[in-house]
Amino acid sequence: MAELKRILHVEDDRSIQAVAKLALETLGGFEVLSCLSGQEALDQVQGFNPDFILLDVMMPGMDGPATLSKLRELVDIEQVPVAFMTAKVQPQEIEQYRQLGAREVIVKPFDPMTLAAQVRSIWSRVHG
Amino acid sequence: MADPAAELQRQLQLLAEQFRQRLQRDLPELSAQAEALGKAANEAARQPLLLAIRQQLHKLAGSAGTFGFAALGEQARRLEQQGGAWLYAGQCDGSQLPAFIADLQRLSALAGNAGPGGSSEPLALAFENRRTPLDQRIAILEEDPVQGQSVELTLQNFGYQARWYASAAELSARLAQQDVDALIIDSDHSAAPELLAGRTSQSGLPLLVISSSNDFASQLRAVRAGAVGFLCKPLNLPSLENALQRLFSLQQGQPYRVLIVDDDLELANRYALVLRQHHMHVQVCHEPSTVLEYMARFAPEVLLLDVQMPDCEGPELAQIIRFNDDWLRVPIIYLSAETDLSRQMQALLRAGDDFVTKPISDNALITSVFSRAQRARQLSNALARDSLTGLLKHADIKEQVSYEVARAIRSRRPTSVVMLDIDHFKQVNDQHGHPIGDNVIRALANLLRQRLRKIDSLGRYGGEEFLAVLPDCSGEQAQKVIEEIRQHFTRLTFQAGQQQFHCSFSAGVVQSNGEQSAGELLHLADQALYAAKHGGRNQVRLAV
Repeated sequence: MAELKRILHVEDDRSIQAVAKLALETLGGFEVLSCLSGQEALDQVQGFNPDFILLDVMMPGMDGPATLSKLRELVDIEQVPVAFMTAKVQPQEIEQYRQLGAREVIVKPFDPMTLAAQVRSIWSRVHG
Repeated sequence: MADPAAELQRQLQLLAEQFRQRLQRDLPELSAQAEALGKAANEAARQPLLLAIRQQLHKLAGSAGTFGFAALGEQARRLEQQGGAWLYAGQCDGSQLPAFIADLQRLSALAGNAGPGGSSEPLALAFENRRTPLDQRIAILEEDPVQGQSVELTLQNFGYQARWYASAAELSARLAQQDVDALIIDSDHSAAPELLAGRTSQSGLPLLVISSSNDFASQLRAVRAGAVGFLCKPLNLPSLENALQRLFSLQQGQPYRVLIVDDDLELANRYALVLRQHHMHVQVCHEPSTVLEYMARFAPEVLLLDVQMPDCEGPELAQIIRFNDDWLRVPIIYLSAETDLSRQMQALLRAGDDFVTKPISDNALITSVFSRAQRARQLSNALARDSLTGLLKHADIKEQVSYEVARAIRSRRPTSVVMLDIDHFKQVNDQHGHPIGDNVIRALANLLRQRLRKIDSLGRYGGEEFLAVLPDCSGEQAQKVIEEIRQHFTRLTFQAGQQQFHCSFSAGVVQSNGEQSAGELLHLADQALYAAKHGGRNQVRLAV
């Protein structure tokens, strides 16, 4: 039975990066690796071997969807769920992200108190 | 090590404070970009600027709410959408551009408010950065100069940027500048009927109406003009300020916390998404037996409860929740496909407050939850807070001191306790009457609230006595901050009829040495206060 321990978080905004890391580590008990760009995530993903990936959608350079399509060559997203985080949520966008292989879209601004629970609930739908 | 939940809160506050500092750098930059946008000669020059601005706005929209700046996030989102539409069209709407630019430049006003943050390091800096968060701008229309001046002065003392206008023309000129946050209109003003009739409940600016008649028709007119508050003359200024504060705290407050209990996870997540898009904090519980854990951990302000669940029915669960006195104030709304009215009534009789029928439209869901949450928070504030000052009551501030002192002992961090008393307050009451005395108390309460950090706790300890506890703060730092407040307070001018007067306070400060109990610290602070009084009043003494 797979267990959720390591989360890779890709986000170019350092403030958000810090608050998500704190929330996921303290409330979720997870180990979190934060990356500032899609490229950094691609470089780090195999060494870190995450169980779950959180991807910001709008990033300079390689954006979330582009990063996801490259990540798919490196990790099995059937086993390692990917969730997008974004401030813009139109229903058709969510559908589009799902088609790319994302499991869920977490709406920004997120609540630091519930982020870990949200991640766990996505995880348990995939692995429960 | 402190209690983990409290420790997390502290760390979140620290991050929020860092975010606030970042805003202080980023927002002026955005404002400069906005200015450049306004000066751009043509569309080709505007588009790249607009693109950069929109990217900034997008970031703000996604992040500000997480750090408690919900109003800022919402406004950024609105502007982002507008900018996005112009980018998409390849052209800015010239008629809306000036307002767009003005809104961009006003974003920093929203950043000064709210925010869960204060900080622990570096302390002195945190105090200095905390100028006046209550910088809301109020315009007052009042024909009677005595009344007008007294409202203006009192609101200024309470920390607002208040400005009184005698004529409707002056007021209109000011409103045209679009830099007012709330409006107070005396309905007895000769131009008031026309002004009020021209407004609707949709008119943007929050409105308070004051009136010499308290009858139903006057109040109805006020409601139809979109008033959010109605006050009868003779005017009780603290209640006027109460109304303003309620208004702004509803605008700037923390997001409402909503718990959804539904075994249908898909549906619950859908509801959650809708509510989150309206900046509520939502948790979903799909296992009824775990609901009490969620209640304790998340402390929701509204509970949405599915009626039909496999192991436990909604009304049964509601009764279990009502067994616990702590949750009596939390409204329970049933979600159900049940359209049979008599069965709905039965559920409500057992426990619960409201029914919404599935399928429910997004708007209906938002409205039901929002109205209940708003009411619950108002009530809860009214019960927990001192009605005159909005500060913690005696027992609650004492408890807070015990809590902080215990934490200081564990964490070996300096913590200071301040006891503060208005000088010769009895004379104020005797000479000018209690309503004027109340103004003085309230002005000091607001001043303290503005100048202390969010992590500090502040309470009304007795009639004219205040108690504050400042975690992670040395005695010298606390003395410095209170001394600044003292100087500011002595400069406030109070008005009683045609007379003007000034007040002062004395304060005693003590820093915990990591060993004393809360009771001992209170005693030491009280002694320092006594020394300040004895030494001639109007001064701050540090206990030695």
